[in-house]
Amino acid sequence: MTLELRNVSKRFPGILAVDNVSFQARAGEITGYLGPNGSGKSTTMKMITGLIETTAGEVFFDGRPIRGDLLAFKQRMGYVPEEPYLYSHLSGLEYLIMVGQLRDLPAKPTAGRIDGLLRLLSLHSDRHVPISSYSKGMRQKVLLSAALLHNPDLLLLDEPFSGLDVATSLVLRGLIQELATRGKVVLFSSHELDTVERVCSHVVILHRGQVVADDSIGRLRTLMSLPTLEEIFSQLAVEQDTAAVSREIADLIRG
Amino acid sequence: MNTQLQFRVLYRQFLFRLMDVEWLSASARGDASGLLGQFGSLLIFGSVGLSWAAIAVGDEARRAATVAPVWAAERFMVSLTMLVVGVFALLNWDSTFPDRADVLVLAPLPVRGRALLAAKIAAAASALGLTVAALNSLAGFAWPMALAPAGSGLVGTLRFVAAFWITLVAAGAFPYCAVLGVQAAAAQLPRRWYLRASSVLQIAAFIVFLGVTLFQPSLNTAAALGAPENQRTLSWLPSYWFTGLLSELSGAFSAEAHAVMAPLAWRAVLSLAAAILVAGGAFLLSYFRTLRKIVEEPDVVPGSRGGIWLPRFGNSPQTALTQFAIRTLLRSRQHRAILAFYLGAGFAIVAVYLDGARDMMHLTWMDIVGRVNGLMLVATLLILCASWLGTRTVFSLPLDLRANWLFRVTPAPGGAASLAAARRALLALSVFPVVAASAALLLWFWPWKPAAEHLLILGLLGSLLTDISLRGFRKIPFTCSYLPGKSKVHMVFWFGIVPAVMVIHKLGGLEQRAMASPRNYWEIILILGAGALAARMVTNMSANRSQPEIQYEESASDELILLGLNG
Repeated sequence: MTLELRNVSKRFPGILAVDNVSFQARAGEITGYLGPNGSGKSTTMKMITGLIETTAGEVFFDGRPIRGDLLAFKQRMGYVPEEPYLYSHLSGLEYLIMVGQLRDLPAKPTAGRIDGLLRLLSLHSDRHVPISSYSKGMRQKVLLSAALLHNPDLLLLDEPFSGLDVATSLVLRGLIQELATRGKVVLFSSHELDTVERVCSHVVILHRGQVVADDSIGRLRTLMSLPTLEEIFSQLAVEQDTAAVSREIADLIRG
Repeated sequence: MNTQLQFRVLYRQFLFRLMDVEWLSASARGDASGLLGQFGSLLIFGSVGLSWAAIAVGDEARRAATVAPVWAAERFMVSLTMLVVGVFALLNWDSTFPDRADVLVLAPLPVRGRALLAAKIAAAASALGLTVAALNSLAGFAWPMALAPAGSGLVGTLRFVAAFWITLVAAGAFPYCAVLGVQAAAAQLPRRWYLRASSVLQIAAFIVFLGVTLFQPSLNTAAALGAPENQRTLSWLPSYWFTGLLSELSGAFSAEAHAVMAPLAWRAVLSLAAAILVAGGAFLLSYFRTLRKIVEEPDVVPGSRGGIWLPRFGNSPQTALTQFAIRTLLRSRQHRAILAFYLGAGFAIVAVYLDGARDMMHLTWMDIVGRVNGLMLVATLLILCASWLGTRTVFSLPLDLRANWLFRVTPAPGGAASLAAARRALLALSVFPVVAASAALLLWFWPWKPAAEHLLILGLLGSLLTDISLRGFRKIPFTCSYLPGKSKVHMVFWFGIVPAVMVIHKLGGLEQRAMASPRNYWEIILILGAGALAARMVTNMSANRSQPEIQYEESASDELILLGLNG
């Protein structure tokens, strides 16, 4: 089972957001998808989910183009978006039940699964409270539960650790690794390079919409003779002299 | 720190935020002017209608040669202004106090509390003033000129115009201050309880405004206004106080009129002053406490213990979409307020219709409700239409466009499957409550057979209207963006209101006659049933023929081509 992007591009009016991107994310491994702000990571994620269409190229899952049967593909995909936008007038429980129904999951086992997820993620006592009162971390837990509810074959995680407390972050990190060992395809986008380095076996680095690295972290370290992912990332995708910019900002606000 | 500049910046922000641009489609490019234009044109259209009425009433008043029609007309305008302002104040309930985002954004900034308070009040008052001005843009001149006593001359007429506008402003300020006072008093509660009480208070106030406007007695002669047995009633009816104020300010009537109007005018002045003082004091007191509470306490109504149970509506995805629509309407204050507006208009039409018929036919309310008659048939049909139209209208207004990604990434069904969900939601939210309420009322007062016969007709008509209004609907209710000018349902509503009432009146008469003959009745049932079935088939065929994908973004229709010449 593989997620594959072949020469995928996305052009918005006046800007080429994603430029001829190709890579593969295989079952059993966690693929890190990295890039600075505006590099096209979230746009790629949205093209994979079918939220936006590609301008060129094709996305394949399990050897078949996803556009051939988008509904069937969506049934096998779980997605945690970058921004935790939820229908906040619903309670956490109502939201998850609705997701289960939209996915046409059998009611009884799904109810048990929802109950279990809410307990394990410490949301059970707040399950009847409207999402509008949830903290960012609680919303993130609802998103995560919704993405896992149907035991997806492909998990797309866009900044999944955002807002999570330390304990839940550790649970999530372990969970991602566990799911990968159980044969899921996991594509994981994050700015937290330490986490990516610990969790991912394989990384794709995007810069200005183009892939500038696509390899295992170990091979990249060897090839580039750099000890950490942060240094590899800085060399490939950071154009600024960050120390100089920091100094300039401090000087600027001094007046 | 420039407080004036802060006030100006905040005032502009708060004023423009009264219109929610996040509802708008990308085609509208964040420009709310279309929406404002629609709202303004509705009010101006209302003003044109009122001006026509002024001409007719003026003629009648001159022919009658008594003050009764003039006083009735003046009180009508005062009542209407009080109702519009009262409803406006209720709709803007949420924007009186800063919301959580306001406080969290503004609290860390060196913004003076008084600038924030003044900007909020000024923004709400500006919007209110513009609403009243638009509603009276023509009527505010047509009515005083039509009602000014013959021989007033230019000065007398101008005085009447001035008195008319002063009275309308004062009459508008009274319910506004009353709502503000109630809100300020409620704001003393813990924030979560204040939020919960808000919904109840809004609905209660809406019923009070509507009930008082529609069901206040008609006392239009000096004798009736001066009668001791009516004084207790008059002490509870502000529209009479402000009609008295108008009479006193215009100085147009006799000593006899002055004798009954002067006490009413004084009551208007004193109650307005009291309302301003109480509301202002309570509001100031609660405002700064509220700012702290907004930050300290969760901005959410406490959840119910076990959630709300809803039945299944077809298969799982259809159940999800239908339950989503029902929960959204039940919990979204904005959508409920718009629906309440349509229902309020429906009840107002019914009340005017029944009241007119009661006067003409010399009936009591018990005659109308307690006996099998055409008036109740028409009344329930009118309410059904108002409920259906209001619910269908709010279906087109989105709740939170940013949260729609959920439906896009799950295999939410399109075509006839999502149409079935929308249909069930519309039936459950608009037709079922009217049929259930009618059943409770009619089965209580009427024999079961005519009641059941009418309920069957109501149900079939509801089904027919539902399918007609969902033809070409490729959306999940509350999830598609709104493009001002695309949907013309509100315009059709206002322009078609009189013909619709006439058609429904005819239908009610037809139904009443048919109920006397089983053969005729079943013919009507057959026709309605066949119509409902045909409408459903056509709507389903259209859903399956058109693209099965669900529409989340409203776009300009093909006949409208934007050239974009301004770059």
